[in-house]
Amino acid sequence: MVDAARHPKVDVRTYTEVERVEGYVGNFKVLLREKSRYVRTDRCNGCGECAKVCPIEVPNYFELNLAPRKAIDVAMSQSVPLIYNIDLDACIHCYKCVEACGKLEAIDFSIEDKLVWEDIGAIVVATGFSHFDPSVMPEYGYGRYPNVITAMEMERLNNSAGPTAGNLIRPSDGTNPKRLAIINCVGSRDKRFNPWCSNFCCMYAIKNAILVKQAYPDMDVTIYYMDIRTPSKGYEEFYDRAREMGIHFIQGRPSLITEDPETHNLFVHSEDVALGHVIEREYDMVMLNQAAVPQPDVDTVSSVLNITQSPGGWFMEYHPKLRPMDSPTDGVFLAGACQGQKDIPASVAQGSAAAARAGRVLHADEWEIEPVVAVVWEDRCVSAKGKKCGLCAKACPYNAIEYEQGKAAHVVTAKCHGCGGCVAECPHNAITQMHFTDAQILAQIHALLAEKPEEKILAFRCHWCSYGGADLAGVSHFEYSSNERGLRVMCSARMDADFIYEAFRLGAGAVLYSGCHPQDCHYITGQRVGASRAERLLKAFEKMEMTPGRFRVEWISAAEGDKYARVINEMQAVLDSIPKEKLMEEIERLRPEMERRARRLREVPQVEEALGYSRQLEAAMVGKEA
Amino acid sequence: MAGDNGNEELRIGVYVCHCGSNIAGVIDPKVVAEYAAALPGVVRAINTPYACADSGQNLIKEDIKEYNLNRVVVAACSVRMHEPTFRAAVSEAGLNPFLMEMANIREQCTWAHGHDPEGALEKAKDLVAAAVAKARFLVPLQMIKVPVTKRAMVIGGGVAGISAALDLGDQGIETILVEKQPTIGGTMAQLNKTFPTMDCSI
Repeated sequence: MVDAARHPKVDVRTYTEVERVEGYVGNFKVLLREKSRYVRTDRCNGCGECAKVCPIEVPNYFELNLAPRKAIDVAMSQSVPLIYNIDLDACIHCYKCVEACGKLEAIDFSIEDKLVWEDIGAIVVATGFSHFDPSVMPEYGYGRYPNVITAMEMERLNNSAGPTAGNLIRPSDGTNPKRLAIINCVGSRDKRFNPWCSNFCCMYAIKNAILVKQAYPDMDVTIYYMDIRTPSKGYEEFYDRAREMGIHFIQGRPSLITEDPETHNLFVHSEDVALGHVIEREYDMVMLNQAAVPQPDVDTVSSVLNITQSPGGWFMEYHPKLRPMDSPTDGVFLAGACQGQKDIPASVAQGSAAAARAGRVLHADEWEIEPVVAVVWEDRCVSAKGKKCGLCAKACPYNAIEYEQGKAAHVVTAKCHGCGGCVAECPHNAITQMHFTDAQILAQIHALLAEKPEEKILAFRCHWCSYGGADLAGVSHFEYSSNERGLRVMCSARMDADFIYEAFRLGAGAVLYSGCHPQDCHYITGQRVGASRAERLLKAFEKMEMTPGRFRVEWISAAEGDKYARVINEMQAVLDSIPKEKLMEEIERLRPEMERRARRLREVPQVEEALGYSRQLEAAMVGKEA
Repeated sequence: MAGDNGNEELRIGVYVCHCGSNIAGVIDPKVVAEYAAALPGVVRAINTPYACADSGQNLIKEDIKEYNLNRVVVAACSVRMHEPTFRAAVSEAGLNPFLMEMANIREQCTWAHGHDPEGALEKAKDLVAAAVAKARFLVPLQMIKVPVTKRAMVIGGGVAGISAALDLGDQGIETILVEKQPTIGGTMAQLNKTFPTMDCSI
């Protein structure tokens, strides 16, 4: 901690939050809110005279509310930086602190939050994790029984820098416990709460047991566990040491804790797998080893930084094996437990690894980005002919399109991230996206529906999420109907309504319109552009009395392989439930309307050529079959 | 070049990967390659045991020269896996990397339809045909080069963030370490002694 503050190249900005991130790899602009401490950082010397005279006590987050802090205080004596701050909600403005500060004049109630923009080339996200709150498990009585504490509370109670100076006492009466039970997997490996193993808790339970045993050799310390998981270097040996020290291990997940209301002693009811029967043992104190869970503000951080989440809310890495330090956004890297529950050595290692990955970008003179950007066909843009439009600029999440009535819209290439939303939104087909042109996509649609289209499920997927979900379905061998035919674009925003009409015009049995969940969108608001279009399509098809389920809209993350497989299988079930004749009748009935709606597509440059080529291709495909 | 100005004859090469038994265990890549050979514009179609291995990449590179290919379709795994590999390969042979298209016949075909080899084969053929169709309209593109601001930001001042910030600083990069609490240290600063060294966490 001190090293970071002392490092000449590291600028530590505490009590500061990230409000907004704009830009792209190598060229981010980050808006920081430096919250007011009401104490001047250039003058406070950390002497603490102010806190001594402050009459107001407030709960202390750092001590997990086991001890109070003053309305002007520091989190701990080793705080970095050692600068006091005022909790203005609690402050009664008695100004005793101002008096105590005296000539330093460090306290200044007029300081306001400061908003600062910073130019940044690469970002490492290391926002950490939080702890499961066991008060939602009534069976353990946390919050009702004073002597049931959490692991983090144990850390403070048994800590020489903590509120009791390391004297482990029972909250009910201040005496030292003689019998301590530690319960593992509280909120972890529990399908009611979190399915995952929290990774470090076995070692954490053993560490706490050893520390307590060292301080109080006569104490009876028992760890209740489901499995002891000690896979890394030196871990199993540490476990052996705990056993040698006389720490008891009982395999069994306690089902209930009851309390003697007089003594506040606790009775732990559990199965003992070794004995093969149910046991009940009395303790003076119980420590609940809480699950590691994502930070409560993970959704906000996700949307500010454009990072997808894995199930449960951990940040998702670009690739779990090959690129575990990279987020899906180029130039944004992940470190520590925000990416998944992990212990200190692993967090430190990932921090260094993320720094190395970020260094690749930061040491380069220039960085290459993919040219999948939007380009305007100026002669087709109606704005150039004086008409009012600007739909493209409205769809752009990056303000990359300059629109002025009377001039053709202009895409600022460096700002364009290539979602393709403007391309699909343009009613005059005056914009195209490089590498995902209408002609290219149309040629794919025709090829995928060349034979027996009525049996096919054409699935539009976005690159970052639902395509990844389809990959994961395969990786996990979740089988789904082989009638699915996938087509990839960068974002659901690119899924032009014309493509859907064209697919149905060609006689597709079903069409899936899929992308990311709104908070996961790689293009800030691209998904919203895609989603509102999908809503319009759903309504249009309902009006046409299309069988429900033939057009389906689903948001599927790259971590939801099971969902992708389930959705496709459900769509297959819809197709199976419609008698063939009825389906063919419906396709024929709707074809003229689909043709009418898809006709604008024909005006797009190269599309006629694409259709011509598709006819050749289809002939070859069918010919080969025959 | 075709799709560019339409003057050049379309010459597509299609490579169908076995990926060991990952693909070939469910469908016959040779059948897919034979099917692709008959598609318009395809002048070369062949199956290969591992397209991503040196042998597979060399095959593609040599064919680009020998058959004068101006489009390449690789039917193998996910673009999320090997698109950079094959883009680099065609680029080394002098072809613009954006003239390469992949068909995902592993993750999204044989792995997902292991119990339906007939359906998987039909799907693989269609996916290859769609990739060939898209390839027909691919145009050469150049990567966009952007300048790099040589400053880093680390968000979160816990043990991972501090570690990242120190390493970036040691690399000589100006780094801003942002922490929402009044002190850095994160969860670790709250801990008593920590494993394995059992020393102070701060």
